[in-house]
Amino acid sequence: MSVETHTGANPHHEHPDVVGSRNRLGVILLLVADVAMALSVLFVYFYLRQQNVNNMWLPLATADTPAVHPISTRGTWIVTALAALGLLSHFYGLKGARAKAQSQLTLGATFAMAFSAAALVYQFSQIGNAPFTTTSGAYASTYFLIAGLNTLHLVLTLFISIGNWNRSRLGLYVSDHWHVDIVNIWWIWMTVSSALGAFALSFT
Amino acid sequence: MTTLMDRPASASGEASSKRPLIERLNIFTALGLGAVSAIVVWQLALKYLPQNADTAFFFNREDKISLLSLIAWFVGFMVGIGALIGPFRWLMGKDLSHEENMFLAGKDQGVKRYFRYTTDHKVVGIQYVVITIIIFFVAGVLAMLIRTNLGKAGGGWIQPQTYNAIVGWHGIMMIVATIIMVTGPFGNFIMPIMIGARDMAFPRLNALSFWLIVAAIPPVFISFFTGGITTGWTAYNPLASQAGLGMNGYIAFICIFAISTMVSGANITTTVVKMRAKGMTWNRTPIFIYGVVASVALALPAFPVFFLSQIMSGLDRAFATSFYNSAAGGSGWLYENLFWIMGHPEVYVILIPAVAALMEMAPVFTRRPLFSFNLAILGIAGISGLSILVWAHHMYISGWAPLLNAPFMLTTELISIPTGMLFLVLVGTLWRGRVWMTMPLMSIYALLWNFMIGGITGIYLSDVPADSFLHGSMYVTAHFHYTLMGAGLTGALASLVYWFPKMTGRMFDTRLSWISFWLVQIGFNVAFIGMFMVGLAGQPRRVEAYAEIFSRGNMVTTMGAYTIMAGMLVLLHGVISSWRSGVPAPMNPWQAKTLEWTVPNPIPLENFAVLPVVTSDPYGYGKVQQ
Amino acid sequence: MAIEVSTPENSQAPSAKWWKKADVKQTLLLWIILTPIIGYVGSEVQVRSMGAPASEVMASVKSLMRIFTWAVSPVAALVAAMALTTLMSKRHYGDMPPEDADHQIRNSPRASATWLVVSTLLCLFALIAGLVVQQKDSKSILDAKAMNINVTGQQWIWNFDYPGKGVRSEVLYLPVDKPVIFHITSKDVNHSFWIVQMGIKMDANPGYITEAAVTPNKIGVFDIRCAELCGLLHAYMQTKVHVVSQADYDAWLADRAALEGAA
Repeated sequence: MSVETHTGANPHHEHPDVVGSRNRLGVILLLVADVAMALSVLFVYFYLRQQNVNNMWLPLATADTPAVHPISTRGTWIVTALAALGLLSHFYGLKGARAKAQSQLTLGATFAMAFSAAALVYQFSQIGNAPFTTTSGAYASTYFLIAGLNTLHLVLTLFISIGNWNRSRLGLYVSDHWHVDIVNIWWIWMTVSSALGAFALSFT
Repeated sequence: MTTLMDRPASASGEASSKRPLIERLNIFTALGLGAVSAIVVWQLALKYLPQNADTAFFFNREDKISLLSLIAWFVGFMVGIGALIGPFRWLMGKDLSHEENMFLAGKDQGVKRYFRYTTDHKVVGIQYVVITIIIFFVAGVLAMLIRTNLGKAGGGWIQPQTYNAIVGWHGIMMIVATIIMVTGPFGNFIMPIMIGARDMAFPRLNALSFWLIVAAIPPVFISFFTGGITTGWTAYNPLASQAGLGMNGYIAFICIFAISTMVSGANITTTVVKMRAKGMTWNRTPIFIYGVVASVALALPAFPVFFLSQIMSGLDRAFATSFYNSAAGGSGWLYENLFWIMGHPEVYVILIPAVAALMEMAPVFTRRPLFSFNLAILGIAGISGLSILVWAHHMYISGWAPLLNAPFMLTTELISIPTGMLFLVLVGTLWRGRVWMTMPLMSIYALLWNFMIGGITGIYLSDVPADSFLHGSMYVTAHFHYTLMGAGLTGALASLVYWFPKMTGRMFDTRLSWISFWLVQIGFNVAFIGMFMVGLAGQPRRVEAYAEIFSRGNMVTTMGAYTIMAGMLVLLHGVISSWRSGVPAPMNPWQAKTLEWTVPNPIPLENFAVLPVVTSDPYGYGKVQQ
Repeated sequence: MAIEVSTPENSQAPSAKWWKKADVKQTLLLWIILTPIIGYVGSEVQVRSMGAPASEVMASVKSLMRIFTWAVSPVAALVAAMALTTLMSKRHYGDMPPEDADHQIRNSPRASATWLVVSTLLCLFALIAGLVVQQKDSKSILDAKAMNINVTGQQWIWNFDYPGKGVRSEVLYLPVDKPVIFHITSKDVNHSFWIVQMGIKMDANPGYITEAAVTPNKIGVFDIRCAELCGLLHAYMQTKVHVVSQADYDAWLADRAALEGAA
C-alpha cells in the first residue's frame, strides 16, 4: 500500500460533527440489534397465537382456574401515547438546541423526562394489575414478554432523559448538540417499538 | 448509551491528590464485588423468597434463586471493573477529562493495564488472544474426554449425566471461542492499524465487549458443577426446561455473550465505516476488513434473537411461563426457529473472517495481486445476505413446516455459489504465484482441502431426502467440524502466526509452527473422516454408548483427536516460548503492504505519529509485464 | 538462503495460447486423472458405509449421494489440480520473501464467468435432483391403502400403537411391501424417530403430531434409533423393527391382541 505522510490537525481535537456522526452510526447499529429483538418478540407473539398448541393460547376455565381474558388494549395504547408525548417534548427541546435557545431545550428535556417517568409508572401498574399470572397460558406469557421489553426500554429512556435534562441544565449543549440529536433517534425508536407492541396486543 | 460519552475531551482535568476511583478498579475488585454480590443475593433470596405451595413448580424457586445470583454476579462484576463509570459520568454531566481518558487507554501502566478496563485496542486485542486460548484449552480438554469415552463400544467410563454435560460444555465453549477467535484478537489489535486509525470508534465499548466475555465465563464454569449443560450446545426446549440448575449458567452465559457481540459489532462496523485513513476508499480497503465487518455486522441482527430465546428459556424455568411448554400452549418449534435464526448466520460469523484473513495473506506469500478483489467482496456479501434466509434447513425433519422445505433447500444450495467465489479467489491467487513455504501459506492449501470436504458434505445435508437420513447423525458433527475447525480454526491459527510479530514484537518459532500444523491437519482429517463413516453407518450424535459395528470408526476418530491435541499443545508451547524469547521481529518481516506493517515495534499508544494517507490498494505485488 | 525452484516455462512469451502453457497442461492432466478418482472414492466410500437399503427411500438417498458426488467431483478435482500445480512449481523456502511474481494479473473475467455459470448450474442440478426424490418420497404419505401406526416417544423408549387393533408394542412389526404412515408424537421432550436402513427420520415433538411414510421392501430386522438428544439415556433409546411377511405379521398381531385382551 503506498502511503504518503502529511501533518494533519491534532487528533485530540476532532471536529464535533465528525464525533457526532460517528456516535450516531454507532447508536443506529446498536438499534439494529434492538429492532431485531423487538421483531423477534412480535414473531413469538404471532407464532404462538397462530399455533394455539393444545388450545392453550387463552385457556378456558377449569375446575381450579378461571378462564383467561386478554388485557384491555386501551392501557397498552396509553403507554404508547405517553411515549409519543415524550418524543414530542424532546423534539421541541431539540429544536430549541438547534435555534440556540437554551431555555427551550431545558424545558423540552424536563417534559420528556416527566413523560418517560409517567409512562414507566403506568407500565408498571399495568403489569401489576394484569388479570392473569405467568402460568396462565401462552397469551399471558407473551403479554409479559412484550410488556417486559417495553419496561426495559422505558427504564433506559428514563436514564437517558435524566442525563439529557441534567446536561441541558448544565449548559453542556451550548456549542454542539449532537447528543440531543442522538437521543431523539432513541425516542423515535422507543415510541415505534411501544406502538408495535400495542399493535400486536390488539390481536388477541 | 455509553456511546454518547465520546466527546472530545477538554484539556483541563481535575487534579486530585488522592487516587481517584477510576484508578483503583481492576480485575480483582471486579471479581471480589461480583462474588460478594452473588453470595449476598443468594443468601437473601434463600431467606426471603417464598416457598412455592404448588409442587408442580418444584424447580421454580431454585431457578429463581440461581438466576438472581447470576444477575447479581454480572452486575457486581461490571460495577467492579468500572464499566458503569462512563455512563454515570455522562448522567452527572461530568465527562471524562483528557487525562482520565489517557489513563483508561493504559498510558504508562506496564503490565497492569492488561488487568484493567483498558480502552487501548492493542491491549484489548492481547486480552482477547489470552482468553481465546484459555477457552480453547478447556474446550479442547473436554473434547479429549469425549473421544476417550467413545474409544470403545458399549458405554465408556463416564456416567451418562456427566457425559452429556461434557458434550454441552465442549460445544458451547468451542462455539464462543471460534466466534471470537479472529474478530477478537485480530479484529481488535490489527484492524484499526490496518485502516490507519488511532483507536476504535468507541474505545470504552471495546473494553466493555471484552470484559463482558470475562464476566460470562464463571457462570458457565459454575454450571458444570451444578448439574451441567446436559442438552448439547443447542439447549433445545423442552429438554432445557427439564435440565438441572446448570442450565441457568448457560442462559446467563449466552445472554452476556450476546450483549458482548452486539456491542463489538456496532463498534467495529462504525470504526471501519467512519475511521479509515484518508484515501482509503472502499476499493483500497483490505479484504480482511471486509471479512471482519461482514462477520460482526451479521452478528448484530442474529444475536439478539439468541438472547431472546434464552431469556424466554429462563422465564419458563423461573416463572413457569409457557413459551416452550406445550402443555400450556408453548411450542418447541418456536425455540428451534429462534435458535437457528441466530444459529446459521453464526456459522458464517465464524467462517468469513477466517477465510478473509487467509485471503489477506495469500498475496503476501505468493507475491502477486489478490485475484479478483471484487469477486471476493461479492462472495462475502452473498454469503452474509443468504445466511439469514437458510435457518430452517436445520429443521427439515422437525415437521414444523414440510411445505417450506423446498424454499429453504433452494436458499441453502444458493449459498454454494458465493462460497465457490471464495474458492476461486484463493485458488486464483495461488495460481502463478511464487509460493513462499510458510505455515500461513500452507494453511491456505489446508483450508482449500478441508473447506472443500466441509462444503461438499454440506450439499448432501442441504438436500431434504439425504438429510432425512443424515440429520442428527455423526455425519453432521463431522461436517460442521470440517467447516468451523478445518476451515475456520485453520485460518485463525494462520492469522496467529502471521500477525504474531506485530502483536508481540517477536517471530513465531518456524519449526514449532510446522510441527503443529502437520499434527493438527493430519490428526484432524483422520479424526473426522472416521466420524463421517460412522455417521453414514448410522451412529447418532451425542451418544455416550454405541453398537459394536461403529467401534472401528470411533477408534480411528479418537486416535486422530489425540493427534490434534498434541499439535495444539505444540502450538501453545510455540506461543509461550516465542512470546518470551523468540527472535525479535523486524517492522515488516513478511514484506507486506498493508498499513499495520508500517508502524514500529512496539507500537506506540496511538499507533501513528502522523496519520497515513493511502494512494493505492495493498495488493500491488508482481512485476510489470512488458 | 532462498532456494528458488523454478521451471523453464516461467519465461514463456505472454502471447502463447493459454492452453499451451505448461502449468495449464499440467493442471488439465491432473484434472483428468483426479476427477474419476475423487468421484469413485468419494461415492463408493460413502455409499458402502451406508449399508444395504431396506426401502425405496433409502435406495434413492444412496443414489442421490452417488450422483451428487460425481457431479461435484470435476469441481473438486479442478481446485485440487490447480492447488497441486502451484505447489509443485515455484516453491520458495527461507526467512526472506521471494522476489515478486512475474505478472500483475488482478482479474480474469473469462475464468470468473465460467466459474459462476458452472457453479450456478451445479446448484440448480442439486436442487432439482433433490426435489424429484422428495416428491417421490412424499407421495406415499397420501397413499390411501397405507396402514397407520402411532409412534410415541418418551424418555427413553418408543411405543407403537396399531389403531383399531388394540395393540401396543415397544418393538415395531411391519409387513413387507406395504406402505405405512407413522403418526409421531412425544410425551416429554423432543425425540427423533429414525429407521436407519429405511432412510426415514422425523422428529417427535410434544404437543404436535408429525408424519413420515415408508414402504419396507426387505424382510429382516432393522434398527430404530433416537436421533435427537433427549436426556440421560438418549444413547440407549433404540429398538428394532421386524419386517416380516404378511402372514407372519397377521399372526403376530393376533398374538399380541390376544395377550393384551387377556391382560
